[in-house]
Amino acid sequence: MEQNRRGAQASYVALTIFIAVWIFMPSAVRRLNREAFTEFQAPAMHLVSKSRDLARFWELKSRSSEDMAAAGRDLARVNAALELKLADFEDVRRENKRLRKIDSYTVPADYMSVVARVASRDSSSWWNRIVIRKGRNDGIRPGAPVVFGNSVVGRVTAVHLTTSEVDLVTSPGFRCTAFLEGDEQNRIVLVNGLAGNSLRAPQARISVIPVDYDERVGQVSKVYTTGMGGVFPSHLILGTVDLESQATKPGVSFKEGRLNPVRDLYNLQEVSVLVPLHQNPGEALLDQFQ
Amino acid sequence: MGWAWLILLLATYPWLLGADLATDMLAGVGAIIFISGACIIAPCRRLRPIQAVPFAACIGFLFEARRPIPDGALAITLVAASIFLTANKPLLRNTPRLLRAAIITNTLACIAWSIAVTIALDTSQGARPATPWVQFILQVSLATILGAAAYLPISLVQNFAMDRIGIPPAADTP
Repeated sequence: MEQNRRGAQASYVALTIFIAVWIFMPSAVRRLNREAFTEFQAPAMHLVSKSRDLARFWELKSRSSEDMAAAGRDLARVNAALELKLADFEDVRRENKRLRKIDSYTVPADYMSVVARVASRDSSSWWNRIVIRKGRNDGIRPGAPVVFGNSVVGRVTAVHLTTSEVDLVTSPGFRCTAFLEGDEQNRIVLVNGLAGNSLRAPQARISVIPVDYDERVGQVSKVYTTGMGGVFPSHLILGTVDLESQATKPGVSFKEGRLNPVRDLYNLQEVSVLVPLHQNPGEALLDQFQ
Repeated sequence: MGWAWLILLLATYPWLLGADLATDMLAGVGAIIFISGACIIAPCRRLRPIQAVPFAACIGFLFEARRPIPDGALAITLVAASIFLTANKPLLRNTPRLLRAAIITNTLACIAWSIAVTIALDTSQGARPATPWVQFILQVSLATILGAAAYLPISLVQNFAMDRIGIPPAADTP
């Protein structure tokens, strides 16, 4: 017993020394340690995620022929409805093409799209993030924008060999400039993730909204990326703006609103990572220091 | 058995992975299933300090690796807890005491990483929850409940693993 206590005293001294060493240790060592533990867990996450895919596959495969026939009938009906919609979209496409020509809008060609499956989701009051099943081996780089269709999901914050961590739009660490739909002067607003409350859907905040900006009556206004800063291509949808809860105070030049993401960020199965083909100035600067 | 702690870590890992999967499922409501503190109790009862310390450190680092927590915050807390527990084995004499230790350790570890992450994260606009104390209390309360609920099943697996690798059972009067 006495020996135990003496041993513990020595351990406490060793712990104190270790904490002191840990604090002054080069950040590279700590990063290496974190990286090692992340890589240790990566295969398990891959396995779990792929097992889910396999379970889904067998679930679908085990359906009876009657179920399949019913599903086929439903699909035929949906197809018929979609055929009609397609015709509408064709008109929209033509108009879009014409408008693009008028505005000389060019779709960013300096990005490479990498489609990745979502391996896990993790959220708390202090962070909202997902882990995707693509990493450094697939050419993903930190800071790359992550999208689903034409809507922004978030930004890659950490890249490992086979996995990457993505900070979602609603994560407190996320920041981006944006334009509001319906603002003729295209004034820039700031979007940043909001530390959310547990048991509530995560949200983001839109700040620096000009006081004279009003939502169009009866319509939901979208929030678009500006393309400034070199991270996000322009005109991607960040979400919709919600100004209802904001009361304009006298003497205040700007107001704030809530950003409601257009997608349910915690039910995404796949996302696209837009990896810039060329190194941006920030990355070049980092390379110089490393 | 110098490497007993590593084998025990591998035996414990499925529980940590299960907790991560549960966190994944609850991501929409922002709840973290935290059981790292409860995982170190049974090993601290039977392992020597030199084995319990790296075990606790690895448990901490595994949790930290997947979350934006300051490096070493949880690992050091769990190491300190493991040193205290291995030096005071009478505190882990019977099941009620073990359960109490699991609850306290899990709660303290949760408090430690919550405080660390609050201090470390950007404190500018938007980085703090609207009701930080409520969030903090909710997360810590969840950790307390989980410490109580998860200890027994985890310790069953850990004790089975320790029996298989030949670690002597804990003395009744340490």
